[in-house]
Amino acid sequence: MEAVYAIWQRDVLKFFRDRARLIGSFAMPFMFLILFGSGMSGAIGSMMGGEEAAGPLRDFDFVEFMFPGIIGMTVFNTAIFSALSVVQDREFGYLREILVSPMSRTSIAIGKVLGGSTVALFQGLMMLVFVPFIGVSITLPIILELIPVMFLVAFAISSIGLLIATSLKTSQGFQMIIQVLIFPMLFLSGALFPLNGMPAWMDFLVKINPLTYSVDMFKKIILQPENLAPALREAMGLNLSVFGHVISFSEEMIVVLVLSILFVVLATVRFNRSEA
Amino acid sequence: MKNIVEVKGLEKNYKSFRAVTGVDFEVGEGEIFGFLGPNGAGKSTTINMLSTIIRPSGGKASINGFDIVADKNKVRASIGLIFQESTLDEKLTANENLMLHCKFYRVPKDKREERIKEVLEIVDLEDKRGNIVDTFSGGMKRRLEIARGLLHYPRVLFLDEPTVGLDPQTRNHIWEYILRLKEKAGITIFLTTHYMDEAEICDRVAVMDHGELIALDTPDQLKTNVGGDIIEIETEDNQTAWKILKEKYEVEVNEAGESLTFQVDKGSEFLVQFVKNFDIPIKTVNLRRPTLNDVFLALTGREIREEAASSKEKMKSNMRKGRG
Ligand SMILES: Nc1ncnc2c1ncn2[C@@H]1O[C@H](COP(=O)(O)OP(=O)(O)OP(=O)(O)O)[C@@H](O)[C@H]1O
Ligand SMILES: [Mg+2]
Repeated sequence: MEAVYAIWQRDVLKFFRDRARLIGSFAMPFMFLILFGSGMSGAIGSMMGGEEAAGPLRDFDFVEFMFPGIIGMTVFNTAIFSALSVVQDREFGYLREILVSPMSRTSIAIGKVLGGSTVALFQGLMMLVFVPFIGVSITLPIILELIPVMFLVAFAISSIGLLIATSLKTSQGFQMIIQVLIFPMLFLSGALFPLNGMPAWMDFLVKINPLTYSVDMFKKIILQPENLAPALREAMGLNLSVFGHVISFSEEMIVVLVLSILFVVLATVRFNRSEA
Repeated sequence: MKNIVEVKGLEKNYKSFRAVTGVDFEVGEGEIFGFLGPNGAGKSTTINMLSTIIRPSGGKASINGFDIVADKNKVRASIGLIFQESTLDEKLTANENLMLHCKFYRVPKDKREERIKEVLEIVDLEDKRGNIVDTFSGGMKRRLEIARGLLHYPRVLFLDEPTVGLDPQTRNHIWEYILRLKEKAGITIFLTTHYMDEAEICDRVAVMDHGELIALDTPDQLKTNVGGDIIEIETEDNQTAWKILKEKYEVEVNEAGESLTFQVDKGSEFLVQFVKNFDIPIKTVNLRRPTLNDVFLALTGREIREEAASSKEKMKSNMRKGRG
């Protein structure tokens, strides 16, 4: 148990010590929300009919729509890049110090995944500083509801990261694979635009993308679609459905939970087989 | 003396390349045991097998009574390891590095503080405890690694080239620490080196070449086995001198850079006659007792090339700098 704690502690400690990374982590979300989001807002508004828009659609605020997606993106990025530390530890030699100790490989893998999840959770929470500027209302109960969901999503994604990192020798290799993976997953998750009227093949990719369900959970918590007019809900793509069945929050939770377990087991098994 | 390391027919193959070819030896408890050999001899490979980092292709070995394949975690708890390449987390402080190690090795909570103080004292780093390792010099990092390797009171401390890339002064310091350790903690020390003078300090030395153990004894005995004294000459015409030495004096001649070396029984008496009668003009002449380098030369016909090693080290440390 202490082994898991020690591995976790090291990653968390290093995260908070790295000021540049902390500050830098605001750059991407800032650009998406303020530059891209505000720009798109006008465009989308006029597409929906501008001032003459029918009833509820006038309330479509694109920046507000994007906010849960940006939280998702931040959690996702941080979690998957947290596994980079495994590759770097291999490059800089520290992985040997870890692997030749009597700790079990399983504890090490779990410690790494928990460390990545914790760091990603913090990064996600840090995004809440944007709240006053974009006009969503976030209350304490919403935050309390967000925390476990963020952690669960981060856990699943960190496990995927560890699985990839264990198979790779260099950080360049890791970064390349992650870049190739991150963008399609982000674009096909509904984080950046509403998932409406897509071609069938794209719809299929969206539905097999674990990030879709993660982002949708954030949307359900933050945007509270049950309080929105049905037309607006439809326009924001908040009626995510699989085979015509509108998928509920708890079902999404189960999907992400199952994926977490699957990937953490795969990553641990893989890590157990890796050499120092 | 009880054996703490026992090795039988240990081997490691990389595809068809035989890095270590079935070595046998034992190390007694409390001994300083040295592995001496040129680059690529298989020293690190052997240490890595013994310390459970890589899996042997064949043979058996045990440490502290535990099998290195079947009882990995018990072996790991019994040993301390200082690798050829640094394995410190340079972004953390010395104290954090040590504290993490205590946790990795389950050092009891109430003993940690006391042990960290103790090992830092051995390597004279008490005042650097709160500093980030990034700011340490190469020698300080090495010392910190040695300190860390001792935290869990290992029975055997493995040191793979503990002084590589360090200046002679720091090397001497590290050696003081290692000897202090042996006296204080009574632990067994297993090290590799390609520095002759370091091998001299060992209780016993195993000479390794091309993955094979070619000799194993105390440094004194190894040198005695070479026999007699070493004469080193530089002449106007080394090639002819070589031929004359072989034919007229019937000695085994080795070439070492610009000079020729050979052994004779009674060096000083031989030298007087030799210098007077030798047909080729002699530029320099030198008489000395055999060193471990001569041992290696006598066993393999080659020298352990220290220059080659040091240029490789420089390259390595530059690479590391480039990345960091
Ligand atoms: N992973 C590997 N794959 C293939 N060959 C390897 C591998 N590791 C080591 N070798 C080879 O095994 C041989 C022994 O290497 P080893 O590192 O044990 O040498 P060494 O005695 O420690 O040398 P040095 O003084 O340079 O540290 C070398 O020829 C090396 O190229
Ligand atoms: Mg080596």
